[in-house]
Amino acid sequence: MASETQTSTTWFGSTEEVGRLRGRVFKWTCLGATVLTLFLMLVFLLYVANDALRPLSADPSWLATMGVTVVLPVVLLAGYYYRRDRSAGEVAYTALGLPIFVALVSGGLWLLFRHIVSPQEWFVLAASILVAGGLVTAHSRVRHDAAVERLVVTVVVPLLAVVGVPTVLPSLRDLLSLSPVLPNALFSLVIAFTLPIAAVVGWRVRAVRDADRDGAIAAGITVAGGLAGVVVGPVFGVHPTSWLVFASPIVGALVLYVEHVVRNDEGVSGLAFPIVVAAGIFVGLTAAQTLGFAGPDTWLDMQFLTSSTSTTPADAGIYPALVGSVLIMIVIVLSAFPVGIGAAVYLEEYARSQGRLGTVIELIQVNISNLAGVPSIVYGVLGLAIFINLIGMGRGTAVVAGFTVGLLILPIVIISTQEAIRAVPDSRRQASYAMGATKWQTVRNVVLPESLAGIFTGTILALGRAIGETAPLLMIGVSASVRVSPDSFLSRTGAMPRQILSWSTQITTEFRYGVLAAGVVTLLVVLLTMNAAAIVLRNRTQRTQ
Amino acid sequence: MNPTETPTDRTMKRVETDGGVPMEDDQESTADAAKADGGTEKLVDVSPSHSVPDDDDDVRTRSTETAITTRDLNVYYGDEQALDGVSMDIYEHDVTALIGPSGCGKSTFLRTINRMNDMIDVCRVEGDVEFGGKNVYDDDVDPVALRRKIGMVFQAPNPFPKSIRDNVAYGLKIQGYDGDVDARVEKALKSAALWDEVKDQLDSSGLDLSGGQQQRLCIARAIAPDPEVVLMDEPTSALDPVAASKIEDLIDDLAEEYTVIIVTHNMQQAARISDRTAVFLTGGRLVEYDDTTKIFEDPEEQRVEDYITGKFG
Ligand SMILES: Nc1ncnc2c1ncn2[C@@H]1O[C@H](COP(=O)(O)OP(=O)(O)OP(=O)(O)O)[C@@H](O)[C@H]1O
Ligand SMILES: [Mg+2]
Repeated sequence: MASETQTSTTWFGSTEEVGRLRGRVFKWTCLGATVLTLFLMLVFLLYVANDALRPLSADPSWLATMGVTVVLPVVLLAGYYYRRDRSAGEVAYTALGLPIFVALVSGGLWLLFRHIVSPQEWFVLAASILVAGGLVTAHSRVRHDAAVERLVVTVVVPLLAVVGVPTVLPSLRDLLSLSPVLPNALFSLVIAFTLPIAAVVGWRVRAVRDADRDGAIAAGITVAGGLAGVVVGPVFGVHPTSWLVFASPIVGALVLYVEHVVRNDEGVSGLAFPIVVAAGIFVGLTAAQTLGFAGPDTWLDMQFLTSSTSTTPADAGIYPALVGSVLIMIVIVLSAFPVGIGAAVYLEEYARSQGRLGTVIELIQVNISNLAGVPSIVYGVLGLAIFINLIGMGRGTAVVAGFTVGLLILPIVIISTQEAIRAVPDSRRQASYAMGATKWQTVRNVVLPESLAGIFTGTILALGRAIGETAPLLMIGVSASVRVSPDSFLSRTGAMPRQILSWSTQITTEFRYGVLAAGVVTLLVVLLTMNAAAIVLRNRTQRTQ
Repeated sequence: MNPTETPTDRTMKRVETDGGVPMEDDQESTADAAKADGGTEKLVDVSPSHSVPDDDDDVRTRSTETAITTRDLNVYYGDEQALDGVSMDIYEHDVTALIGPSGCGKSTFLRTINRMNDMIDVCRVEGDVEFGGKNVYDDDVDPVALRRKIGMVFQAPNPFPKSIRDNVAYGLKIQGYDGDVDARVEKALKSAALWDEVKDQLDSSGLDLSGGQQQRLCIARAIAPDPEVVLMDEPTSALDPVAASKIEDLIDDLAEEYTVIIVTHNMQQAARISDRTAVFLTGGRLVEYDDTTKIFEDPEEQRVEDYITGKFG
């Protein structure tokens, strides 16, 4: 005790200034690195955005109007959320981001309905799937215990309904499409697109609120949102069918999200944010127009998004390349995702770790990690060699492009899915096995539901990587510049990154700066929205676990 | 409640579980059980048991049917032997406690019974485990079918991130049960003494419950498909004393319907709730296996006495 008073004069003093200096320098260096990275990113983004949007070409009074109606309220509201209600801030950005993300996905579907599967074809396809599903369910009710028979029926009936036996037996889909009375495009989509979405929304709301009425209301709002286009569409110059394709998923997603926020009663005021933003833009634009303020002369505008490339920069657009990219993405989602997720499930849940087979599995595992780092041009060569030269698929088609880029992201899909599966605690599997569940039941009921969000996150990020890939597209002969949108997965296609590359080699400066920048921004918007969605999804699931 | 069971069985059981248990403790559990079963008759046929002297072990006429018999059981993890020649008869409707120092193979023994060890690649089992007149390690025994007969509760509560209802119904679902699932869920939750606490929130997540409630949920999940044996590996070691005592009461009631095998490190717990106690010592040997009162009052082996009194372990 006595010695304590003696040493107490020194123990809290800082006698080790020199020793700490190193630590401090290290800390500031790290901070510097972080700031530098962010700064470079920001400069680049601002630079491209400036080139693409050219905000300074607008009337100063136009800028001032928009500043007052959009930027000011947004800043004020953000400040309020930041200081007063953080959870509302979170709701705010989700509520703004969600419709944007869904709109992007709907945009893809819209392109699909326009170029690949007509609304009527989709209607027929959906009807066949519905009939097949009904038959399978009915059969499993009746013949509950005949396991093998049920498996056969589950595989064969949908195949017969959708594909049939080529040249021998027409499928149900073929038969239906021969029918003389088919609903028109709008009604086809109402039945086969809006109603299923509304059903899912209503079913979900009904389940969480445990009230039939609430479910019906939610479904009703979704349908109404989709059908509103019949009345409101012409006012905005939007075709009712287009309105339907965009509005149904957006309204459905918003209904689900608003219900979720209101039910949890946390950060409800954040829901005002997207309304303020939308109203601000609307008011600002109307005011500027009535007062005659000229907006900026942007490269990235509706014209750019909806027309094909041209020899004059002002008329150039990215539409066919956009369609191509969407098709490629769909091919990737349908091919690389199932294969990658399947492989990951096998490696994590089924593969043995011991014995000779274990060694092989380990070898495969190491190779998958290596493949993730193989340069993309090599995958291009691989795609060219396998799909085009060996199998003989058409050069530069969406399937080949999708397969090749899909191959490229396959290792990433596998690895991220494995991580998501590994995050499921082993105790849950043990619990399931101890209950007498088979491997399949455990995977199906415990592992997959719990890792689904993680799998989505990983695959979305991988898809983001995929749509920006350019080198493999060069190898497999994707068109440099396309004027006509592809009308099937087997026709020649362009792709956004490829189109951007060819603009960069044009002689006219406007191409190399303006049009190119507009293309880059389009690509970045798609990419960043997808990544943001993945990150939001990840944060959300991390919090609930 | 098992309809085939006679009141006498229960009385018998009461008689011998009374060994050394404070009176009020027992009454509480009895009351709980009566409540759970929705009747009061049990109180009546159980209460006489308190007047029966409980020190007389020789009069036990407890079920002599064996539920599980192991013969010369050797279990290895790679080269390391975890169980060494364990032969043991586990009786129906008994609560059998397994005690012993850490690493002596108690969990291994449990996992050997329901073949959860199959999942460990390096694990190898020699010897017989007889259940329902069949060696469970015979080639024609499907471990999945076996585990549907033998429920298991783990040390740490491990409910699924599903609703309480779906947690309890899990076993029924995977077995393709197509009767009244809700009734079975209710019955299981009542048997697990959890019904009153959760009956209004069956659709909320099982993870939102407290640790003790989660463990009772896991018990409900294990007994919902109506197994014959319930294995419990230190079910209360992650819980506070109140939650633990609730589960102890519960185990007492469970033994009326199920054969319960429980691993515990808590001597008092073993003494309170079990009918027979098996003492494993290092090296995976079963050193002594007898009635609980005998083990705790007058063990044959000096090593067992040392272990129980805490002289080593
Ligand atoms: N999965 C495994 N792989 C390899 N060895 C194991 C494995 N599980 C247990 N063992 C070994 O088997 C022996 C017995 O382990 P077990 O888990 O059965 O002990 P325990 O009696 O349950 O101990 P505790 O009281 O600490 O839970 C230990 O030596 C342990 O190292
Ligand atoms: Mg153990």
